[in-house]
Amino acid sequence: MSVIQGKVWVARDYVMAYDIIVQRFWTAPIDPVENAKWVMAGVDPAFDRENGFTDQGYTFIVAAHNFAGGGKSIEHVIAGLMGAGIRAVFADSFARLQFRNAINYGLPFVTCRDIAKGCATGDMLSWDTATGIVTNLTNGQVFQTVPVAPFVEEVAAAGGLMAFVRRVIAEGRVGELS
Amino acid sequence: MATGMTITEKIMARNSGRDRVVPGELVWTDVHTVMTMDYLGKQTFSKLHELGVGQVFDKDRVICVSDHLIPPPTEQFATMLNEWRKVVREHDITHFYDLGRQGIAHQIMVEQGHVLPGTISIGTDSHANTYGAVGAVGNAVGVTDAAVAMAIGKAWFRVPESVKFHVTGQWQPWVMAKDLSLHIMGMMHWNGHLIYKSLEFCGPSIEALGMAGRMTLCNMTVDLGAKNGIVAPDAVTAQYLEGRAKGAWTPVTSDPDAHYDAEYEVDITNLGPTVALPDKLDDIAPVEQVAGRKFNKAFVGTCTNGRLEDMEMMARILEGKQIHRDVNMLVVPASQDVFLESMKRGYLQILVAAGAAIDTPSCAACAGIHTGVAGDGDIVLSAGNRNMKGRMGSKNAQIYLTSPAVVAASAIYGVITDPRELP
Repeated sequence: MSVIQGKVWVARDYVMAYDIIVQRFWTAPIDPVENAKWVMAGVDPAFDRENGFTDQGYTFIVAAHNFAGGGKSIEHVIAGLMGAGIRAVFADSFARLQFRNAINYGLPFVTCRDIAKGCATGDMLSWDTATGIVTNLTNGQVFQTVPVAPFVEEVAAAGGLMAFVRRVIAEGRVGELS
Repeated sequence: MATGMTITEKIMARNSGRDRVVPGELVWTDVHTVMTMDYLGKQTFSKLHELGVGQVFDKDRVICVSDHLIPPPTEQFATMLNEWRKVVREHDITHFYDLGRQGIAHQIMVEQGHVLPGTISIGTDSHANTYGAVGAVGNAVGVTDAAVAMAIGKAWFRVPESVKFHVTGQWQPWVMAKDLSLHIMGMMHWNGHLIYKSLEFCGPSIEALGMAGRMTLCNMTVDLGAKNGIVAPDAVTAQYLEGRAKGAWTPVTSDPDAHYDAEYEVDITNLGPTVALPDKLDDIAPVEQVAGRKFNKAFVGTCTNGRLEDMEMMARILEGKQIHRDVNMLVVPASQDVFLESMKRGYLQILVAAGAAIDTPSCAACAGIHTGVAGDGDIVLSAGNRNMKGRMGSKNAQIYLTSPAVVAASAIYGVITDPRELP
């Protein structure tokens, strides 16, 4: 049972993975600290400088449809967001490729209908992970997120898919994966 | 009251030891082959080691390809590729497609028989959906999922809902599978209702497509936001896989009473050559609506349209013709096999004589990180799969996406041209 509170950045337009990690960093190593230096650089000119987005100290991102779409499958997108301090992304829908990466890294990508309509960048949000309720402390609006699948919680609790699978392998339980 | 299953549901059930699965269910499945390629490959193997695993689960079933940065354009990438080669060799990988035997990874996977009907193949690049053309589930994953599969031969999946596209009508002259892909893109929109869904293509018009067209169609399902695209195996598949498939296979097809979230009837009788306008994949128009617009760069290649059928189409149009002096045309066959066969049949000779530049197989200009990058003010007519701002390089370039037939016809005149209007 935990409540996470912090400032939100709201996507005004459709945010593509190409904007979150711009082309010149695709071939760089996947590393939360390094990837966070230029994360979101393509989304807003204000973020197109070292730690431009990270320095703003956002805890949440709120978006509408197909967040992190455009087809890029690279994990730098998730590592960069986590390195920047993002604890969860709430949106109407997520691009499949990055949704999968988010699950594997334990970064909550949580479905929440119409939340983008009720938030503005800079608002303070409070997320109760037990009830799934997100409260906008700045304007009083309340949103109910779609429950997270047990598998997603299991992977997040293990510290990500790498940790989850490492333990399964070490304990000789690969045959139990079903 | 159980209904039957769709082909994708059956494949996920069969490969996870279940009698049946339902959409939404979380399953761990066997993976037949895992692909990783040059610019992400070393990191994939590093993650394998981080799992506490020293060797891959099966040296014959981890497929390694150099395709994005080959041959290396900078010192940094040359060094990266050498490190990649070292890592591949250290793991005793049986199938390594490096310079000289290379191709775009997704082309290699299908062409070299590493994808089998009724099985699941994954790759660390988004267009792994291409594999659905042979009746397999093809999926793109990040390096973590690939490393896990390389370690234990398994991957986790959420079973997708299925959507059916039943396609009827005769293919018109000069119209290719790419036009159908773009048409569906326009129907469904890029950010639209197909997120996470399995797209099944069936009907007489699909049966009439060769493997090249089926690959184009499945390839672009990722750009619709879909989970995978798939064409059930049939006689065309069997003939294609004869002497090619690396392993035995049994066909899996949808049950007649399978459940679909949505079913669409598409009649291609009046489908003509189609173009996606700059910046947006779903902003499509029939070619006649944009005919006459000037452009200066032509690019044909990629996992979407770099196959023999595409080379043949262009050769048919450009034989004895000259490409307009204001147009820089770059053609990149999707693999060495395609390159060789195109040479043997005289297609490349026709293209070079017409004034096209041919380059060695790779992803080339598609993602703007290698050969044929777009500069400020370039207007590109591309047979690739994405056209968002900056895709091929400069954010001040414009990309029209279309079929090789439209690119070739247009290259002659220096303006977008309807191939049906050619004299």
